[in-house]
Amino acid sequence: MKKLILFASAALVSTALRAQTTPATGKTSADSLLSSMEGTEKAEPVIATFKSTRLILGATTETVKKKNLNFLVIHRFGDIGGSQGGGKTLFGLDNSSDIYIGFEYGLTDNLDIDFGRSKFNQQVDLGLKYAILHQTSDNSMPFAVTLLGKAGVKAYNDNAAFPTFEDRLAYVAQAIIARKFSSKFSLQVTPTFVRNNSPFPFLNGNENNFFAMGVAGRLKVTKRMGIVVDYAHPFSKFRDNATGDNRFYDPLGVGIEIETGGHVFTVIFSNAKAITESSYLSATQSDWGKGQFRLGFTISRMFSFNGKKKEASNKY
Amino acid sequence: MKYIVFILLTWLSLNQVGQDLYACKNAKISLFSSAPLEDIQASTNTGTSVYNAATGDLAFSVNIRSFKFPKSLMQEHFNENYMDSDKYPRATFKGKVNEKADVSKNGTYPVTATGDLTVHGVTQTRTIPGTITVNNGTLSMTSEFMVKCVDHKIDIPTLVFKHIAETIKMNVSATYTPAK
Repeated sequence: MKKLILFASAALVSTALRAQTTPATGKTSADSLLSSMEGTEKAEPVIATFKSTRLILGATTETVKKKNLNFLVIHRFGDIGGSQGGGKTLFGLDNSSDIYIGFEYGLTDNLDIDFGRSKFNQQVDLGLKYAILHQTSDNSMPFAVTLLGKAGVKAYNDNAAFPTFEDRLAYVAQAIIARKFSSKFSLQVTPTFVRNNSPFPFLNGNENNFFAMGVAGRLKVTKRMGIVVDYAHPFSKFRDNATGDNRFYDPLGVGIEIETGGHVFTVIFSNAKAITESSYLSATQSDWGKGQFRLGFTISRMFSFNGKKKEASNKY
Repeated sequence: MKYIVFILLTWLSLNQVGQDLYACKNAKISLFSSAPLEDIQASTNTGTSVYNAATGDLAFSVNIRSFKFPKSLMQEHFNENYMDSDKYPRATFKGKVNEKADVSKNGTYPVTATGDLTVHGVTQTRTIPGTITVNNGTLSMTSEFMVKCVDHKIDIPTLVFKHIAETIKMNVSATYTPAK
């Protein structure tokens, strides 16, 4: 009996002691050690809030990464309906409201320099885009903020309309604030300031400066395809009060975005004729209700100069 | 009395198990794949691993997002289009080393580990070859193995099929320190 008690108490003490020093089996201790090590990792920044640096009308929070070059071709056809549309122009395909050819080059991962030229107003734009804040996976930073500054010059327009060089200039400053709510849904708001030295259209009372607010979003349908919507409202008394033939409408674009690895295609419908921010915010006088919307597309092609020089191509 | 001695001995020997636990926080894990148009390679040195030298239990875990590619667009596509790293942030291996490696003696031991490899949320039972090297109390492990995209339901769209290989070569190397 004495022996049995000794045995039992010793067994109890030994298990109790063992529980204090090391867990009973190696497996669980290994697992808990592994998970404790994983817990010390830093939160990662959220990537790919948008697939491209452009959505439809405006820019997104995405910047071109270091030593990458983004080549953009953006096209807007003519009015599908209304007096300019219909069968006689093949629903606007005969006309082009605007054609934009642009380059964006990544100076660092967060800063890129943009250059582009539009048919609309024959405007040449130069801009800088800086990603100032990144959304993080642990929500310690719940959204991304990118600043965009652009200066445009109407390079080849007539001298009667622009007596001095300064008259040809227009500026845009934007703070783009975006959040990727899930892997499928991203939304951004874009408070914008527009400065036109000779406000377009050339009408009495048009403001040199005004604010605008943009709202844009993407909903991914498949991994490579998404529905995109882009809308902007200029806060301008002149635009609100204009009547008759000079009425203004808020630019709105809807479309689909297809990504093919390197290329991003966007096929859209929009009432905005112009592509450059200073132009589409100032001069959208087409109305969806009158059929004055158009087919448009954006082709964005990313070239990387980071890889080894011997690599035959950047495609994949 | 001899029961007590027996129990104490058992307890001591079991206690010894805990001291055979080795951990690694900076395992280097790299992937490489040769495709017709372009080689795909990426690496990370933030893999974590735990090895129990007494029981042979071995576990690896790596954050998919930590893989760095030379091309940022490739890295984005890897996470967004192939690995769904939002949904499946980690790849893990949990298993047992089949051979005993004597951690008290310097040497190189070719081993195999059998267990569950989980990538992209799909678990496969694999036996993976590797090497354990013991050098004056430090333990290191290396392994090279292939992962088939199709085994882990990693879809390669036909549009870019030719650009991405169907099999990815993985290299793992970890140096362990005794865990407290």
